This record gives sequence, structure tokens and C-alpha cells, in this order.
Amino acid sequence: MGIVTVAESTTEQALAPKPEGRTRVIAIIMAIVGLSTLLLFGIGSAATAHSTLNFSPINLSSSPPLHLGSLTLPTRWTVVVAALVMIGLGVEVFLRRPKGFVMGRFGIVAVLFLLALLFWAARTPGPSPVPFINLTDILTGSTEVVMVLIFGSLSGVMCERSGVVNIAIEGQYIAGAFFGSMVVSTTHNFFYAAIVGALVGGLLGLLLAFLALRYLVDQIIVGVVIVTMMSSLSSYLNLQVLTPFPQYNTGNLAPNLAIPLLSKIPILGPVFFNQSGFFYLMIALVALVSFALFKTRYGLHVRAVGEHPHAAATVGINVARVRYINVVLGGAIAGIGGVAFMASQGQFQPGYTSGLGYIALAAMIFGRWRPSGAVVASMIFGISVFLSYTLVSYQVPVSIYVLQMFPYLITIVVVAGLIGRVRPPGADGIPYHRD
Amino acid sequence: MTDATPVRLHRRLGAQLTSQHPIVVTIFALILGFIVGAIIIITTTASVLDAWRGIFHSWGAPGHAIRLTFDNVGAAYRTMFTGSVVDPNSFWDSLTTGKNWSVTLTPISETLTYATPLVIVSTGVGIAFQTGIFNIGANGQAVLGGIAGGVVATMVHLPMVIHLPLALLAGLAGGMLAGSVPGILKAFTGAHEVIVTIMLNYVVYAFLLFAVLSTPFQQPGQQNDISRTFDGSAQLPPLFGTASGLRVSYGVLVAAVVVVFAWWFLDRSSLGFDFRVTGANPSAAKASGISARSVVVMVFLISGGLAGLAGFVQAASTTHQIDGGFLIGNAGIGFTAITIALLGRNRPMGILWSSLLFAALGVGGRAMQSQTGIPLDLATVIQSVIVLFVATPVLVKEIFRLRAAPVATIKLATQGWGS
Amino acid sequence: MTTIDVMRLELRGITKRFGSLTANDQISITVEPGQIHSLLGENGAGKSTLMNVLFGLLTPDEGEILINGEPVQITNSGDAVRRGLGMVHQHFMLVPVFTVTENVVLGFEPTKSLNRVDYRKATEDILRLSRQFNLDVDPDAVVERLPIGLQQRVEILKALSHDAELLILDEPTAVLTPQEIDALMEIMRSLAAAGKSILFITHKLKEVKAVADVITIIRQGRVVGTAEPTASESELASMMVGRDVELTVHKEPFSPGGDVFEIRDLVVRDERGLAAVNGVSLSVRAGEILALAGVQGNGQTELVEAIAGMRTVESGSITLNGRDITNHSPREVLDAGLGHIPEDRQRDGLVMSMSVADNLVLNTPRRVPFARRGTRDLAAVQAHAVQLIKDFDIRTESPQELVSSLSGGNQQKVIVARELSRALEFLVASQPTRGLDVGSIEYVHRQMVEHRNHGNAALVVSSELDEVLALGDRIAVMYAGKISGVVDPSTSRETIGLLMTGTKVEQPHD
Repeated sequence: MGIVTVAESTTEQALAPKPEGRTRVIAIIMAIVGLSTLLLFGIGSAATAHSTLNFSPINLSSSPPLHLGSLTLPTRWTVVVAALVMIGLGVEVFLRRPKGFVMGRFGIVAVLFLLALLFWAARTPGPSPVPFINLTDILTGSTEVVMVLIFGSLSGVMCERSGVVNIAIEGQYIAGAFFGSMVVSTTHNFFYAAIVGALVGGLLGLLLAFLALRYLVDQIIVGVVIVTMMSSLSSYLNLQVLTPFPQYNTGNLAPNLAIPLLSKIPILGPVFFNQSGFFYLMIALVALVSFALFKTRYGLHVRAVGEHPHAAATVGINVARVRYINVVLGGAIAGIGGVAFMASQGQFQPGYTSGLGYIALAAMIFGRWRPSGAVVASMIFGISVFLSYTLVSYQVPVSIYVLQMFPYLITIVVVAGLIGRVRPPGADGIPYHRD
Repeated sequence: MTDATPVRLHRRLGAQLTSQHPIVVTIFALILGFIVGAIIIITTTASVLDAWRGIFHSWGAPGHAIRLTFDNVGAAYRTMFTGSVVDPNSFWDSLTTGKNWSVTLTPISETLTYATPLVIVSTGVGIAFQTGIFNIGANGQAVLGGIAGGVVATMVHLPMVIHLPLALLAGLAGGMLAGSVPGILKAFTGAHEVIVTIMLNYVVYAFLLFAVLSTPFQQPGQQNDISRTFDGSAQLPPLFGTASGLRVSYGVLVAAVVVVFAWWFLDRSSLGFDFRVTGANPSAAKASGISARSVVVMVFLISGGLAGLAGFVQAASTTHQIDGGFLIGNAGIGFTAITIALLGRNRPMGILWSSLLFAALGVGGRAMQSQTGIPLDLATVIQSVIVLFVATPVLVKEIFRLRAAPVATIKLATQGWGS
Repeated sequence: MTTIDVMRLELRGITKRFGSLTANDQISITVEPGQIHSLLGENGAGKSTLMNVLFGLLTPDEGEILINGEPVQITNSGDAVRRGLGMVHQHFMLVPVFTVTENVVLGFEPTKSLNRVDYRKATEDILRLSRQFNLDVDPDAVVERLPIGLQQRVEILKALSHDAELLILDEPTAVLTPQEIDALMEIMRSLAAAGKSILFITHKLKEVKAVADVITIIRQGRVVGTAEPTASESELASMMVGRDVELTVHKEPFSPGGDVFEIRDLVVRDERGLAAVNGVSLSVRAGEILALAGVQGNGQTELVEAIAGMRTVESGSITLNGRDITNHSPREVLDAGLGHIPEDRQRDGLVMSMSVADNLVLNTPRRVPFARRGTRDLAAVQAHAVQLIKDFDIRTESPQELVSSLSGGNQQKVIVARELSRALEFLVASQPTRGLDVGSIEYVHRQMVEHRNHGNAALVVSSELDEVLALGDRIAVMYAGKISGVVDPSTSRETIGLLMTGTKVEQPHD
């Protein structure tokens, strides 16, 4: 037999129990995590241990914020407070079974867990070679990951709101990062790199749209194949071009552009007002996409096409054209995200996007296909990713590989927990044909 | 009406060639894939590129550029062929002198060696596709199977007649374990398997490093991420003995069993019928009494199990150990399996041939890399392009102006994230 | 009242072919301004194709369309709308999550600076229009939460807001209660009085006689004649099907046995959490057909799904021959002897890409002789199929033919054959003749009556009152999730109509 159909949402409706049962499970998970935090890091740490928070970013060369002293807190009690909050949230969800923001609470618990772990790991006396936590550095470091995730989830929103699933975000990241690195190495101009990134991302988006809309190839398959193709292609080109000619792939750290007064604000200043140009671009894009989707005529058409393309067609909207435009624009945004990632790492390395493109999709779902939601979700995922990597330097008695698993495990739980609570655009992933 | 018959026969043959029949489409897709590969070779080989840049410099320049192109592309594809199938010179030599058979047969042996795990994992993915499930986690499942089988192969010591089957079963179990996560999550929460499996892949990769660097499993005396060598009693020995130099192992028997199993399962078994009905029409499946939940879980167990088995077979028949880079990356056998399953239209025989083809591309690609310096990734790119073309017979038809025939196209209708 | 423009629409010689099938064959119709012109034809006659042609969704192979005497080209829906054609689709073209305002202005939005939609102006316009034509709506309501009748009103408003001069109403009454149907007819009359032309497509004789000025009858793609609304129903029916139609089915005298199937105080919730079935009790005896009448959307679908094990029952019980089958899985319910002819045959009853033979064993594939210990016996499946094809007169080339190449009627025969050839304790049939041609309808009705004549019990759910009256030995009427009454088939249509709207009527105890 040659025709294969993926289990439709009817099957998934048939499969998924009402969220209430799962809500209890999630609540229990939250409480258990809170409890382990309490026992392992709270009560389990010596009463004399202290952890120090610093607020002056180490890595910022220009326009540093006003200097705040450091804050030393007793490890045990701080962690206990955090753990109690986590357990409290778990209990609340279990008893009250709220309809909304359940996974949001879970996200908070996940972040608190990592923070508590970090806090505990940085205690003195303790085994960590790094005796303090630089909160500002952590926030600015997370922001880089968050920024990349926002580009990706924004891309997802653009595509899926018009009804097309874009699994190829990871591939668009890779393409943007690779070509962006080459452009910056040769022109030393990040603006050009962003344009090139947008171009390659848009091209991949065009490929996706072309195959999925015109030839009705399954969108998920096209996405996966594009990612595989870009992954291999970039690896191949890396060996052919970047390795013999390393001058095409060095020194590409994007400089930070500080906003004069605001960047002096302690803690938050460097996070929001002293970032690379890509950060500000990202904020502008979020605002632009939000405005366009929900206030303009264009946005109304897009959403109609994504919910009920036939209805849109009967009032004369060109469904295919709307989808093409959105998928290409979405691809362009993801491409820029790839350049932004490269610019935060300084160069291109094969495989270093490590699945962020897929986490961005989870963030989009978490954010309920709204740019504002995608931002919040990206923050939660981004901080988790960054904290997991940060913990490596703190000699935590957990294998670094297990730490690496955290962001992915969190994503799995979030995605599993969200089913039944979120509602994708009505025609998401369904090709539309006349006749 | 009387002499219409011979005309009709002739017309029918001609019609077959120009129709949109699946095999024809596949062949044309292959041709297109190789053309794209050729273009990539041209644009990334410095000498050829220079030659093309200078085609207006002299009268002989275009001819030179074309000759250089043919030389390079020809060399590349020729080494691919001789490296994966047979070198005609060597074959003739062996035939006439009766010697050096091991050299002649090595390319085919290598292709078969590579094809063996591919057949197994792709069969699993194909069964999943027929049920309407994307098993994108086949790679992670294969890795976990490799780890599980590897653990049994290194830490338990038994006579081969027990040890090898046990290790194979462990590989199967490892894959089933990895597959059970998306299976259970999808069955009980409806979580879309794409994100869950891809995330799980990364979890398994991290676990691989953890396992391979852990004291019990790590190669004694090594600081690198490499495991102990599998006991001899848990390796898949070469079919023609180690002395022959041919690597093709008893793994092919395992692969053959898998293919037969898959055919029987899909065509004759009741559970396979349930799978196919679910893939074709989940609503009708439910109304007919098929439990969607148990189907989903079973699919992932079978698909994951086969992937895990493939992972261990891969290790047990080639390297006899696993390292931190086992099956790593977006081009691991789990991802190739998706493209192979598509190419083979999710049917066991089709998957068998596609696996051989892709194995040949991989082995040939390696030969190409060592002899012409063109990296192996090019072969993966060609594979991806072929698959895209195969998944869009309409596109191929337009390019080659094939006549449209009512042929079932591969069409999967997704519905987003399922809520 | 600002309408100055009026429209005279003429379709001349419209022909549309799909391969070897001629869906429309030289169709010519004229609709005068201010006229309610009804297009009458049975399912499959070609009405939808014609409308799609008119509305630009299909291109005709031959023929032309003239508006006010001028030939026009309509290549897409936008064109059609711009020329003053408005369509009220059978399946509403409304975006469920949008508000009424968003739906009405879609595609024709008033804008402010920066491409922003001017919702204030849009709302004003809608309120003005709704006052003008007496179509009350709340502009900020989200469409999917509105009752069906109101959603239809939004569709009509949408067409009117595009300055439509001719409204096409495609089977508008399928989902309305008799009262809502009367309201719709009033709306049609007032629109016509205001100078709008109306093309009213239906297969329901009574509605046509009630409201049409002119009736064009179409059959098998051709216009077979025109008629006045004064023509008799049987005349119209004959023209519709081409021969004298028997409007009732012969039944043997009714001699029921004991209770076979019973539902008590059943409560079932739908996707939105509302109680679609809100305390339903009924029972069916051996040798009896209980027909469940009612307008679609009053809980019948959810009721049948609950019986078949496809939907959770919140409270209450379902008993089959004394065995409780509430909330059992579809497998258990089928094994208990329930036969199910589903409402949506292509979605729930058949696997289109599989063979007729496979579909004939679809819900019993593991039963001996079709399978033994997990392995299928393909020869037995084939033999079974050959037998059933003969017994039930299924028109197919071979048992291996894909069920997708069968006609709608034959597809339904496959399902009927499959269910009735099993040893059933009880049959549930939901909208069993929807979308079928008259020949197939007669066939299905005959099969059911025979089933009942042999002493078996059945529940037939149908929104077609004629079918209910023809088949039911007793008739239960469902409205808003409850049974509003159980009557015998000699009851007047008016009474049943009232029951369908929830009015409790004095009735003799049965």
C-alpha cells in the first residue's frame, strides 16, 4: 500500500485523557522535584554554608553598570525557601487543578530547581572552584540563548499561523550561522551577515513552501530532510572551505551596543540595554510580528488562512500566496536567528546548534502561537539550557552528561503536558487544495 | 480489432516507460540526485571552478572546462561505483586468474555490511510510517540499543550460542525502551512524537557519552570515550571467515529474518492489519474496535526495537565496540532510515533495495573521499536530494514530462501538534 | 433601503465534466430580480457542481454566465463576490475562532493607517446592515460559540455586506429546526421583496413548495423541467427521480417482543464540555425499529458515539440484552453483538484505500475464520467477500477492488452487508441514507425492514422526517439533548415538528 496517513488529531483526541488526570501527574512531579531540592540541597547542605551572588558582569568591557556589592546568603535557607515555593506550586496545582498556566508553573519549578542547584553548587565551603554566582552574567548569558530561541519560535509562529509546520528551523539556524560567519569574516559587517542569513533562511523557507504547498509533500518530512541536508552540507562545506581557510570563520563575536544611561542599571541594565544588535532587532521583530498578526489586515488574512483556508478562499484571499509569504518570512527570521547564534559564539561549528531549533518549536507551542507567549516560553527554556551548561563549571556531583540532558527532558515534559491545553491554528499542517 | 493487439502491447510497453510508475519515478529521481551532486562537486572543487571561470579566455577553454568537469565528476562517481559494487578490472582479473577474490569482492562486502543495519532500522521506520507514525527517534533508539547490547556483550561472559542471541535481544530491548517513551507519551497524553523523539535523541546521545566514559563500560587503559571491546562470543563474525578479509557478517542473516518478519507482519498478521488500518484511517480504526492506544505503543515498541537491534548489529559486525560518536549527528542511520523508508514506499522489499542503494552511496562515498578527497557528506546530500525528489513524484513528472498515471502517491497529511 | 441595482442572472448551457462523468450537462437557468428561484434535485444531481461553477471555484467546460444580459467570466470567488453574487454555503465558511465582525469583514476590511483594520467602522456597518434586514447578531460574539441558526445568519450577513444582489442558499435547512426554517423563509421573502434575487438549492419538496416562486428541477446533470410551486409533491418527486417514486416502504405488521436494548438517564458531554446528551432514556424491543428524529446537532451524534463506545458516558447506563455496555470499548461493544452503521461512512465506516474484501471484515478481522492465532486467513476473507457481494448486490469489479472507486451507494452497501451479515443483537444506524441516490435509499430501507421483520431490533437515527416516518415503528424525537416525546408513525408532521423544537405535546401513553 502506498498511501500513508499520519494519525490525525482525531486519534490524538481519542487518545488524550482529559487534562485533569495529567494535571495531577504534573503536580506530583513538581512536588517531587521540590521535595528533592529540599532534601538534597536544602537540608542536605551544611548549616554554615553560604553562597555569594555577584552582580558585576565579568564579561562586559564597555559601559558596565553601576557597581553593586555582592550578596551573601545562607545556602540552606535560601534553597529551602525555593524548595517550599516549588512544593507549594505543586500542591496548589494538585488541589486546585487550574485550567490555565499549569505548564507555566511547571516551567517556573524547572527554573527554580536549576537555580537552587546552582546556588548549592556555588556554596562555600564547597568543592566548586568557582566560589560565587554572577547573577548578571548568568542573565546575560541566558539572554543569548533566549534570543536565539525567540527568533526560532517567532519563525514558527509566522509559519504555523498561516497553516504550515516548519520543522526546518534547525536547518535554517545552521544555514544562517554558516553563511553568516563567512560574511562577517570577510566583510566584518554584521548587518550584511544578517541580510545574508535572512536570504538563506528565506530560501530554505521557499523550498519548504514550494514542496509542501505546490507538490503536497508532507511538511514534517520536508522539514526533517531539509535539516538533514543542511547538517550534512554544512559539515561538508566546513571541511572543504572553513577548515583549510580558517580566516573565513574567526573573530565573529558581535560587539555589544550599549544604550547610554539605561545600561547602567544594575543587574537588568546589561541584560536588556547592553546587548548585540541582534537583540534589539529581535525585540523589534517581536513587536512587528505581534502588531502585524493581530492588528492589521494582513494578519487577519494570515490567521484566517491558518484556521479555515476554505473560508478565506471564498472571500477571495489567495491562500497559497499568503502561505508562501509567511513561510519565506518565517524562514528569513530563523536564518537571522542562526546568524545571531553564530555572533554570540564567535564562529561556526558543525552541530553546535544542538537541537535549539526544535526547542524553539516547543517554545512556540508553549507560547500558544503568540509572539508574546513565545517570548516567555523562550525565556524559560533558554534559562534552563544556559543553567545546565553553567553548572558544568561548578563541579556538581552529577555527570555533566546528565546535566546536558536537562533542557531536553524539560522540553519533553512540557510538550507532553501541554496536549489538550493548547489549541493550534485550525488548519495547521493541512495542505489546502482547490477542488 | 484483430491486429490491434500487437500495437497495444508495444504501446503498453512504451507507456510503462513514460508513465509515473513508482519504479520509473525512483530511477528518474536517482538521476536527478546525481545531477545535483555533480553540480555540487563542480562548484566546490577549486580546479574545476577555475576552469569554468576562465571559459571565455580562449577557444579551447570551454572544452577544457567540460573535460575537467567530466574528469572530476566522472572520477568521483566512478570511485563511488568501484568502491561500493565492484571494480570491473579487478573482477576480470580474478575471473581469469582465480586469485584475489577477496579484493574484488570487498566493495560488495562493504556495501552489504553497511546495508545490514540499515535494512533493519528502515524496516522499523517503514512499519511505523504505515501506521501513520513518524519515528524520527530511530537514531536515538539505535544508540540505546547499541549501548544495551554492548553492555551485555562486554560485561557478561557466556558461550557464543547463548551470548550472541542474548546480546541481540539486549539491543532489541534497548531500542524498545527508548521507543516506549514517545509511545507511551503519545498514547496517554497525545504528545506529538516529533518533538519528543528528537529531544530524546539528544538525551540518549548524552547518555552515550556518560556510559562510554563510565568505569565499567570504558575500555580499560583509555581515557577516551570508547567502550570495551565486545567479547568474541558476542560479535557477529564474518560470513566467509576472518581470513577472507570480507567484512560481511552473519548480520545479513539477521537482516533477512527481519525482512521476512516484516513482510509476514504487514501482510498476514492481524496486528499488522490493525496497524495498516490505523495508518489509513484512524477514525474508522477506532470505530472498528482497534485500540488506538495499544497500536501506538506497539508501533513504537516494534519500531524502536528494530532500531535498537540495528544499532547493536552495526557495532557487533563492524567495530566490535562503541564510542562517543556512535551513530552521531543528523546523518546517523536513524535519519537515513526515514529517507530509505520513503524511497522504499514503506514496503519491506522496497526498503531492502533502497537500503542497498543508500549503503552503496555511503560506502562509495567513503571510497570517493579517500581517493578523490571529496568528503563523505556529499553522499548524504545526494541522498537527501534523491529522497526529496522521490517524495514529490509530481515534481519529477514535470521535469521529465512523464505521463500521469493513477498511481498512489506518498502523501502524509499532518495535523500539527495534536491537541 | 438603498438598493438600486438588481440582478438578472442567466446560466446558458453550462457543462462541466470530471473525466468520464458529466456532472453538469447544458444547464440553462434564469433567475429574475426579486425572485426566489429554487433548484430542486436529489443528492448527486449536480447542484453543488453548478454552484461551484457559478461561484468561481470550478471552470465550466462549456457555456456562459450572463449577468444583466452581459456575459461574464468568473475565475475565482473574489470575482463572483465582486459581481454581486453571494453564497451561503451548506458548510459554513466561517472561521470558528473569529468574532462575528472579523468573519463578516474578512477580505473586505475597512482599514486605517498602517494597514490596521478599522474594527469600529466595521462594527458600525454590521449593525446597520443587521437592522436593515432584520438579522440580529452580536458583533463581538465568537462564532463557534453561537448556535447553528445564528451562525447561518452571520453567513447571510456576510454575503449581504458584500453588496450581493443574488444570494445562493445551498441546502440551508439541513441543520435548522422547523421553527428556524420558517424564520429563514421569512428572511428569504423579505430579501426578495427588497429586490434581491435568491437561488435556493434543496432536495426538500415541502420547503420548495412553501417559498419558491419558480422551481427548476435538475436530474443527473440536466435540467428536466420547470414547475410552479402549485405542483403536487409526487409530480415534483417524479421529475426529480425520473419515475414514479414510492414514498413509503412496505412493512409487515408490527409485533414486538421483549426489550432488547435500553438506555437510562444517559448523560454524555461533547468536546466543549457541554452536556450534548442530557438525560436520555429509551428502549427498543425485538422486532421493532425505533426511529430517532430530530434536527442534527441536538445530541444524536454524541448519543450514537456513546453507544458505539467511541465517546465517554458521564452518567447513566446502556444495556444490551441485559448486559451493561456503558463505557465499554468499541471492541467490547462490537463483540457484544452491536452493529453500527456510522453517520460518516467515509470517516468512520470504511478504509478508502483498502479493498472491499478487507473492509467487509474490518471490525471482525481476528475472528475465526478470518484469522487464527494472530495470522490472517486471506482465502477465508476472500470467500466471505465473494458471498456478501452476491448476497447484497454490491456493484464492484472484484473483492480486491479499492473501496474508494465504488459509488456512494455501493460503499454504504458494503457497510450494510458487513453489519447485517454478522449475528447481531442490535443495530444502530445513523443517517443511513445521507448522500445516496434514490435507488440506494430504497435498498437500505428494505434491508432494515427485513432485519426488523426477522425479529431483530434496530435504532435508526435520521434527520430526514420522511425516512423516520417510513421506517419507525415508534418515533422518538430528540431536542437539546433530551427526548421530547415518543410517538407512533401516524402522528402528524406538525406535531413531530413541534417536538423537534422542544415543545412538549400531549400524547397518548404507548
